[in-house]
Amino acid sequence: MDFYKDHYDAVVIGGALSGMACALTLAKKGKSVLILERHNLPGGIATSFVRGGVEMEATLHEMMSIGPEDQPLKIRTFFNDFGIKINWLRVPEAYRISVPKENIDITLHAGLEKMAKEIDAKYPGTYSEVLRLMKLCDTVYNSVNVLSVHPMSKPMMLLKHNEFVKTCGYSAKEVMDTFNLPQEVKDILSAYWIYVGNPLSSLPFTIYAVLMADYFGGGSYVCSEFSHEMSVKMAEKCLEMGVQIEYLQTVEKILVKNGKVIGVRTKRGDVINTEYVSCSAYPNTCYSRMIEPKSEVPEAAYRSVNARKISVTCFSVVLLLDKSPEELNIHDYSVFSSETDMNLDKMWESMKTQGPYDYLTTICLNYANPDCTPKGMTSLSITTLPLPEGFLNVKADDYFSMKRRIAKGMIDTISKQLGVNLLDHVLEVEIESPMTISHYAGAYQGGIYGYQHNMDDHIVARLQMSEEENYIHGLAFSGAHAISGNGMSPVITNGRKAAKTLLEMMSEDGK
Amino acid sequence: MKIKGFLQDVGGAGRVTKKREELFSQADKTDKANDPISAVAKELHPDPMMLTITEITVVSPTAKKYRLIAKDGVLPPFQAGQYVSLEMKIGDTLTTRPYSICSAPFEARNGKDSFIEITVRKGRECNFVANYFYNEAKVGSEFRASLPFGHFYYEELRDAKNIVALAGGSGITPFYSMAKEIEHGTLDVNLTILYGSVSTKDIILNKELSAIKSEKVRFINVISGEDDYQGEKGFITADLIKKYSQGDTSYFVCGPLAMYNFVASELKKLKIPQRRIRMEIFGAPSDISKAKGYPQGLEDKVFSLTVIRGIHQDVIPALAKENLADAIERAGIKIPTNCRSGACGFCRCKLEKGEVFVPQVGNGRRKADEEANYIHACSTYPLSDCTVKIPIL
Repeated sequence: MDFYKDHYDAVVIGGALSGMACALTLAKKGKSVLILERHNLPGGIATSFVRGGVEMEATLHEMMSIGPEDQPLKIRTFFNDFGIKINWLRVPEAYRISVPKENIDITLHAGLEKMAKEIDAKYPGTYSEVLRLMKLCDTVYNSVNVLSVHPMSKPMMLLKHNEFVKTCGYSAKEVMDTFNLPQEVKDILSAYWIYVGNPLSSLPFTIYAVLMADYFGGGSYVCSEFSHEMSVKMAEKCLEMGVQIEYLQTVEKILVKNGKVIGVRTKRGDVINTEYVSCSAYPNTCYSRMIEPKSEVPEAAYRSVNARKISVTCFSVVLLLDKSPEELNIHDYSVFSSETDMNLDKMWESMKTQGPYDYLTTICLNYANPDCTPKGMTSLSITTLPLPEGFLNVKADDYFSMKRRIAKGMIDTISKQLGVNLLDHVLEVEIESPMTISHYAGAYQGGIYGYQHNMDDHIVARLQMSEEENYIHGLAFSGAHAISGNGMSPVITNGRKAAKTLLEMMSEDGK
Repeated sequence: MKIKGFLQDVGGAGRVTKKREELFSQADKTDKANDPISAVAKELHPDPMMLTITEITVVSPTAKKYRLIAKDGVLPPFQAGQYVSLEMKIGDTLTTRPYSICSAPFEARNGKDSFIEITVRKGRECNFVANYFYNEAKVGSEFRASLPFGHFYYEELRDAKNIVALAGGSGITPFYSMAKEIEHGTLDVNLTILYGSVSTKDIILNKELSAIKSEKVRFINVISGEDDYQGEKGFITADLIKKYSQGDTSYFVCGPLAMYNFVASELKKLKIPQRRIRMEIFGAPSDISKAKGYPQGLEDKVFSLTVIRGIHQDVIPALAKENLADAIERAGIKIPTNCRSGACGFCRCKLEKGEVFVPQVGNGRRKADEEANYIHACSTYPLSDCTVKIPIL
């Protein structure tokens, strides 16, 4: 019985956002594409689940690069271009950050001037410096957007993208320290660090700039029917464009001959012929377990993965509570809270353990999406993004107690901050751990953010070296571990880039 | 750092690239991948495995307890109340059924003595799978199984330490697992089991449950059909539930549909908050035509169902009164299923064409799935000729 065609122009391993973005881009160019997804759903960790008849968001806090309808940013434009209609809901605030030890408690909204004013109201005299920093971020962000599509010569870059060039050798902290701002304000402007998973002392300013300019320029968004809406609508568009999607199919091997991809083999045993593969498995997993024969993995490939550091994984407690947000003293969509002062380097060290975690993100989905629960209930998630290191020695038999201990610590911390014991209101609770991510997405070490965005693995260096990293002809990577890095919007960009890489290879090969 | 120097510095791009190139060239050139997180995830959620029956115990005149060990591989840890999905080949039909694991979690993780147990009651005539298992499964029989699944377990972050179990029929089985785990000292809750049966001969696992030695476990039979019964008589009413409840209590309900409806209304009388009530899923309805909203006069129809797997298509008959998963399996086609109740979503598939009925109690779908015409085949009934695309197994 034949379930597959004799040949596909490209096979996409992994039907998550990046894989589907890759497939869509290839299909638009008329290529025949097969997506093989190990789970029974599209979207990877961009998903939701139903408990007690109520659907809950699994992972999405805020989607960047969407922007308002009349000023769309690149990911909204991507969806528009493909005619994928997603009901985007704008998140009311950028964030509230609460650091009692430093007397910090402030809520910031999108809009560069607006947020600078909000900070100035609490820290008078800081307006112009904050705005200058944000404008620098915005300039660098615009340069990144241009340069990632149109590479240019060094003199041209110097001429047209001066600020980008001048800041790119420095960390976010180094650049921020050149601004005349009180420590509290710097701490307030560091809140998003967790969303790139690196403290500002090692995070390239380039990445910081993108993050700040995008979120504060365009605002942030969620889907009205959870991130699963985005996943299903992308999958539907794939089908409409002739892409074949097969669920519950794990690709075990990428078949390689003389340095070139010749096909893939699934766990079920199907061998599928193709010369081009987009792989969402981490390069670590791919080179270690998937390339067949193993002798086809060049030393340089091992060196590349051994040189890089895996970024954060996820620990999240998703709660459905039996009172309205107001009744539970919850008044914000997104709160970053720290039990200690904002010493990011110290926090970073605690992320290498199983906690207690001092820096937590609390999201109350009702404030962006009032219809996400029945009336009188609250959808709340508490998240931290630890490094895999702290979880490498967990035993399966200790797993349930480990995850409950950590989750309880996080719930207790937030309960204390709210003055309401959340444990008295739990209708449903699900705990997402590094093992959960590994189980559903197959991500190496449960990683959700690919490789660390640090000064040793700078985005600019990644772009400069990208071509020489195509160690196997016909193989491109898409996912959080690919060039642009992590987050649901960047992985869509990664998927499109993987498609571009494959299309270039195809045209080289005369296909 | 000199601020002035920084502002003049245009060599950053070159510098960071050189740095990365250096790191790459100095890194180890061999395979150093190390993913213990994935190994644990795999241990917790293993691939389907073969289980062998090693022991069968009669636990009522109409029920047997089966001990199963892993033929190869290792049984995963599970939480008392979770279920195993067993594959069965009956004639040409390759189907699955979920069974609550009635042995305790510690018994599944006990070195070479590890096992799980399930209890199966002889069904009514229509229940051909239960009857097949009850009649045909012997010591030495092998079954492909997936586990663990389900959310019907004590969750300390949600539930009260006092649990009152309200059980009927084979719904007693998850509570035996909990009781044994409590007795073993590895589950710290107080469990009172109210077990409703028509007559004393219907009681499943009576001897086993009565033998539990723990102050934390109470086992009370509630008999509705024997006037001379010395003990609690009648149904599991609000008064009875109240009598056996102490302090903050979570109610765990597992039994047939009729019992759910009755118990739910009794708990309502006691004004038990929603978060203190846990209901186990209860399988497909025995007669879909009686479900709320089912259109009249269709139940005897036979439709044509096109089943797409990859680029392959089969056309098979589908009875209006059976769910699409049953129809597909009866045609000898495998479809992924676990809970058989519409909840877990493992049988999620695309309805490409046709009209279907999804009973409200079995609609565990995500909203975006519903809008894009994705269905859970195990709780979806055809109302016309249909086309579905299912995973290749």
